[in-house]
Amino acid sequence: MIKRIFDWLKQPLGLIAVGIAFLALFSFAAYGISLTQTSPAQPIQFPHKTHVGLGIQCLYCHPGAAKGPSAGIPAQAKCWACHNQIQKTLDSQQPDTQFPLLKPLVASVKNQTGLQWVPVAQVPDFVQFNHRAHIAAGQNCENCHGDMSKQTVAENPQIFNMGFCLKCHQKVAGENHDLLVKLTDCATCHY
Amino acid sequence: MSKQFSRRDFLTLAGVGAATTAILTGCGPASRLVRREPYLQMPEYTYNGLSTYYATTCRECAAGCGLVVRTSQGRAIKTEGNANNPLNLGKTCARGQATLQGLYNPNRVRGPIKHKRGDRLYDTAADPFNDDFADAQPNMDWDAAMQIVADALKNNKPEEIAFLMGMAPDHLFDLVADLANATGINAPVRFGALSMFESRATLSKAARNLFGQTGLPLFDVGGAQVVFSFGANFLETWLSPVSYTRGFSGLREGTTKLRGTFVQFEARMSSTAGKADEWVALRPGTEAMVALAIGRLAAESLGITTPKVFADVDPVDAASKSGIRLETLEHLAQMFANSNGALAIPGGAALGQSNGLTVAEAVLALNALAGNFGKPGGVFFSALAPNQTAYQQPASAQEMADFVQKMMDGKIKVLFVHGVNPSFELPASLNFTGAAKSVPQIISFATFPDETAMEADYIFPDHHGLESWGYQRVATGTKESVLSGAQPVVTPYYDTRATADVLIAAAQLAGGKFPSALPFKDEVEFLQSKIAPLMSETNGFFEAADINTFAAFFQQYGGWWKTIDGRNVPNGADALNRSISAAESKFAGDGKFFFVPFVSPTLAEAGANKPWLQELPDPTTTVMWNTWVEINPATADEMGLADDDVVRITSDAGVLELPVYRYPAIRPDTIAIPFGQGHTAYGRYAEKRGANPTDLIGQNYNEAGDLAFAGMKVKVEKTGNKKPLSRLESIMGVYGVGLGKE
Repeated sequence: MIKRIFDWLKQPLGLIAVGIAFLALFSFAAYGISLTQTSPAQPIQFPHKTHVGLGIQCLYCHPGAAKGPSAGIPAQAKCWACHNQIQKTLDSQQPDTQFPLLKPLVASVKNQTGLQWVPVAQVPDFVQFNHRAHIAAGQNCENCHGDMSKQTVAENPQIFNMGFCLKCHQKVAGENHDLLVKLTDCATCHY
Repeated sequence: MSKQFSRRDFLTLAGVGAATTAILTGCGPASRLVRREPYLQMPEYTYNGLSTYYATTCRECAAGCGLVVRTSQGRAIKTEGNANNPLNLGKTCARGQATLQGLYNPNRVRGPIKHKRGDRLYDTAADPFNDDFADAQPNMDWDAAMQIVADALKNNKPEEIAFLMGMAPDHLFDLVADLANATGINAPVRFGALSMFESRATLSKAARNLFGQTGLPLFDVGGAQVVFSFGANFLETWLSPVSYTRGFSGLREGTTKLRGTFVQFEARMSSTAGKADEWVALRPGTEAMVALAIGRLAAESLGITTPKVFADVDPVDAASKSGIRLETLEHLAQMFANSNGALAIPGGAALGQSNGLTVAEAVLALNALAGNFGKPGGVFFSALAPNQTAYQQPASAQEMADFVQKMMDGKIKVLFVHGVNPSFELPASLNFTGAAKSVPQIISFATFPDETAMEADYIFPDHHGLESWGYQRVATGTKESVLSGAQPVVTPYYDTRATADVLIAAAQLAGGKFPSALPFKDEVEFLQSKIAPLMSETNGFFEAADINTFAAFFQQYGGWWKTIDGRNVPNGADALNRSISAAESKFAGDGKFFFVPFVSPTLAEAGANKPWLQELPDPTTTVMWNTWVEINPATADEMGLADDDVVRITSDAGVLELPVYRYPAIRPDTIAIPFGQGHTAYGRYAEKRGANPTDLIGQNYNEAGDLAFAGMKVKVEKTGNKKPLSRLESIMGVYGVGLGKE
């Protein structure tokens, strides 16, 4: 039966059908891949550039980066500590107003429900990434996470793959052979 | 495979399908499927993926060991000892490890309950996987609860209000003591099964008789060379097991001195005796004469005049009555006399005889002979805790009997119970449960639905120990004066309230003399008022200029202690001149067997509701989840008893039926039963398991008012039934089991 199908496909109509099917598949795949490369929708489309523009340091909201493996997403209390004193937030609590960024925050505080953020800067489980070592080595957050003064919702400026990590590791090691060995050893990250 | 569709076709189709799937799904982060929800309120010092550690104090017994509890994302996950705390120096016992499991016990009381006496508080027959299993559910709110407490305080005469409290926590005891002092309420009575089996009143009375000083004796096992323990099972539950175990390792270490020798004198080999070089199985009731005989023989071997205290005893008579050969007594006496670090410790069942005070004095007199008072390896008085001016003794069993009588006579109109379970811990012969009927209102602050809570009209649950603020004075076990601090390591899981807070709020509501008796906003303010005086003390582990800093350090380090030796030296000048009778003790009951109840080293008084402890095999018998009676195999053979046969044990106070464990390390004329099981409430893991040996104990007291719990003789009869015990050990091949020789 398969042979009969393949015979028809060698006909002109069949070839056109194959062409259309291939194009459809390709565009579907391309769309799917493009979807995965855009930043996901967050419960609040958080504007990093507004906050960075106000002079807030990365480590104020993400202190875990300097202290341990995971930078962490700030607790609701961290947002509310400032926002409960900001006029705009108070204004957003008026009915019949449009504040698409602030209203979800106010709602979550009033109802004591948490905000469920979608993590963006992810590496696979077999990679043991530790922020603290990188901060301690003097790396800046924007080296990997991009310039937050230009981003709204968090997105990855590049793919976090091993090549990206190793390129920087090799550059930092430079001529120091011991450091190069440490930074390029498999077990440094895959223990 | 059909003709139309061959295997090759199938495989082709499968391959194409797989490839398509891989292309379409293999790209992009799977993080889209993940959500992260951070804390609403996260403590500033908590970081993702890193645990937060809090220092607190264990509340499972009175010792007051410091704990460091590891928490992750707001949940307590592990307890370990606090390395800074001088009492336990980073170690815990099994009960300290298991306290975590109590926090998550499914039968915890979840909020204030108005209760009908005798009603069940939880339903063990319900499906445990079903959320709605009718567990101790609250049916009141806290405002109403505090009003009830306030009404109880103000509507009753102060002399008709009583507080019955446990050996822990000390801060609550202090709060109630202050309340009682200011308002005329009866001073709080504190008691626990452990204090009953440790005979604390006897120990401190003996010390007062011999030295003229008040305090709890402390025995420096670590610095000694030869240790004779008369019944004190200090490696299990006696007084302060973690610190005494550390002392024992010091005794054995032999790095700066010879490895020390340890001899245990008791009728039943406990696991403490199992670590001894010699176990002397003396006949119950002969402890005093054996101690005095050893003293006399030791004096003779040293060639000194026999001190007056040892003059009354005849070693030959002692040998024959105790069943220990004279040669053994002489060898032990020489060991004691020739050592330059001899120490004798009285405790356990030896003090639970009708002449327990005499036994304690006789054993302390041995220390006088060794001249070890105030010397390394000798006897001291425990350092008083910071802020403590005098040693506070728990109630003796006689005092508890008087208290129960007061209840029975209707002299107590409202009884508050916290931290103790007298319906279970007191012998049934004292009839606490019966006397409770004569108390019009009983309010329990129990965290778990225990037997006493079943008799209460209201249960206003306190937080679990790991959810609580507080402090515990270290009564014994350290050189230094130690106050161990407690703080919550998690937010309380249920709608419970700190009892201190309830009492403070109720005092405000009650009006009259009450608000000024407890002029605090809450428990934390009360605690700070109590620890503030420590700021002006010298030689502290840390110093601070203001109370907030001091309190922060207090929380961080888990307490405050001095860095200098705070022990007092007993004045042993007259100890050798006393007259101590070498008579045998008297036994109640007319059975054939001596009866030795002992505290289960795994469960102690409150461990039955923690499955970790239930699953922990008893160190000497490896039995789990049950109660047993130990009978010597020769006696068992005479009676035709095999392992797991159920026997009926009758004393003049009660009857029990228990399965037999043929235990060779016990005298043939003695039986022993562990204390810890036999609950009729206390949660699904504890109830209906084993039996409570205090049911057999009658109202017999020693000269100090402590219970003569080992001063009974009982009858043992076969019932013909069997009840298998779950043991970790295999008994195949042991004493002929399974080899056709049974």
